[in-house]
Amino acid sequence: MADPQSLPEGFEGLAPFAAVWGQLHTQEERYLQRQQSTMTQIRDFYDATAPRLDEIFCHLEQFPMDALPDAEALLYRTALGLTEAAMAVEVFGQPCVPYAPFPHKMAIQWSEHC
Amino acid sequence: MADISKHMTKACDMSLGNAFVPVEYYTSPDYFRREQDMIFRRAWLMVGRMDEVPEPGDYIVREVPTLKANVVIARGKDGQVRAFHNACSHRGVALVCQPRGNTMTFRCPYHAWLYRIDGSLSAIPGEQDFPHVDKAANGLAGIHLDTWGGFIFLNFAQEPEVSLSQFLAGLDVMLDGAPFEQFPFCIRVTDEIDCNWKNLVNAFNEGYHVAVLHNKTLRPAVVPKDNPHLHYLDVKQFGPHSTGTVQRNFDYNPDAPALTWVYAQMLPTSAPDLDAIKQGRAGFHDHPGINRLKIENFGTETITVFPNISIQPLANGYLFYQFWPISERRMRTEVRIYSRHAPRTLREEYAMASTLAATRDVVVEDMAMSRLQQIGMESGGKTHQQFGQNEPLLRMFTRDYEAYLAGAAM
Ligand code: FES
Ligand SMILES: [Fe+2]
Repeated sequence: MADPQSLPEGFEGLAPFAAVWGQLHTQEERYLQRQQSTMTQIRDFYDATAPRLDEIFCHLEQFPMDALPDAEALLYRTALGLTEAAMAVEVFGQPCVPYAPFPHKMAIQWSEHC
Repeated sequence: MADISKHMTKACDMSLGNAFVPVEYYTSPDYFRREQDMIFRRAWLMVGRMDEVPEPGDYIVREVPTLKANVVIARGKDGQVRAFHNACSHRGVALVCQPRGNTMTFRCPYHAWLYRIDGSLSAIPGEQDFPHVDKAANGLAGIHLDTWGGFIFLNFAQEPEVSLSQFLAGLDVMLDGAPFEQFPFCIRVTDEIDCNWKNLVNAFNEGYHVAVLHNKTLRPAVVPKDNPHLHYLDVKQFGPHSTGTVQRNFDYNPDAPALTWVYAQMLPTSAPDLDAIKQGRAGFHDHPGINRLKIENFGTETITVFPNISIQPLANGYLFYQFWPISERRMRTEVRIYSRHAPRTLREEYAMASTLAATRDVVVEDMAMSRLQQIGMESGGKTHQQFGQNEPLLRMFTRDYEAYLAGAAM
């Protein structure tokens, strides 16, 4: 068995970010991680992943979306962290939503009924 | 559109007073108790969608926190959808413990009293010890249920004062056939915060704050040059309910790399799909009750259903917000983002997660302000809020709120 913490070939450089964002499994956790990170950490992550989004998804697309191998699943979870990091970098210029309580949690459910 | 300003509905156009509104409405436990009794126990309350229980035997459990109600909504063998209090007739246990499922019977986990999917009591183990219990009269306690546009409404009165259609007062007629069912996939975001629920109702009833509070989030996409304070246009009243048309910047083109990438995978809920509009398949866009002015930069029709709902039909789905009071200073916000379908690819799933984060952050801005507003109001230095001519729906809500608390007919 390959190490469940290793990234697919060509994406090894993202390992430091996979060690943080790749460990998160829900959007709720990603939202909290964004709030608890410094802007420098978020920007480093953003700079390393945002330019590679297309490359990442071209690689992931070779696998069935609901049966990603471990390495690809880790890469995908890492990429999903960018949905939160991008709000901090591209919209707010800070990790948290201004004036919101800290830390701020919100429950999120994706519907199953369709 | 030559001059949009003539469509900016002002409070005086609707003959609305309530320029000054007591802070007490927002801070007093006594007002909260009156809201429970005079509004939430009398009004029809929206709690879900029929497509959450499509098949016979399907059920969901919903909380109505304002009334501390725990409700089972179930589709019977006969296809009919019914609502019950989730409380066993024996000794009260909330017997349905899964949030959703499919079954033909509910079995209480305490002493195994058994109910059919229609709520009737079918079996009592050791029945000889309950000679005084008439099974026919001891089903789960029913709650009045009706539907409009695929939405499920409940009424907690013994006998509703009015039918759902009477309650909707023409809103249902104007929006008849609006294609909500084209957008069955839902992401739900919930949170409880320390503020009065009406703070958020009000936030969704005016556009005045959008250029300021949502300066970094919504403003570039929705605040047009010819309407810098984002007045709602063509405001329409239906009893205590209302709709208003809101513009959008069709030339908004995010140049941020990650957001641009998302747009290329799947348009966010709110972004106009120009091809779909041209081809007449843009969902709500062509409904006659929506964008009656036919403004070219139509963004959304903000639909307020009294007491606690705001619905915003958008280009690629709709947003649904609901605000439940828990006390005079605590509330639950529920946001649902409805889309055409579940994500079919990882790119779509990523795009939907991104849209979810962006939509949530806008609501977080509103909730953050509502919390600060509560702190300020409770501090006690001000006895009144002041509603402008550009906040007609806040005055209208207050007018109807006062009337219902005073006992006016629904
Ligand atoms: S409380 Fe339900 S069977 Fe006893
Ligand atoms: Fe807002």
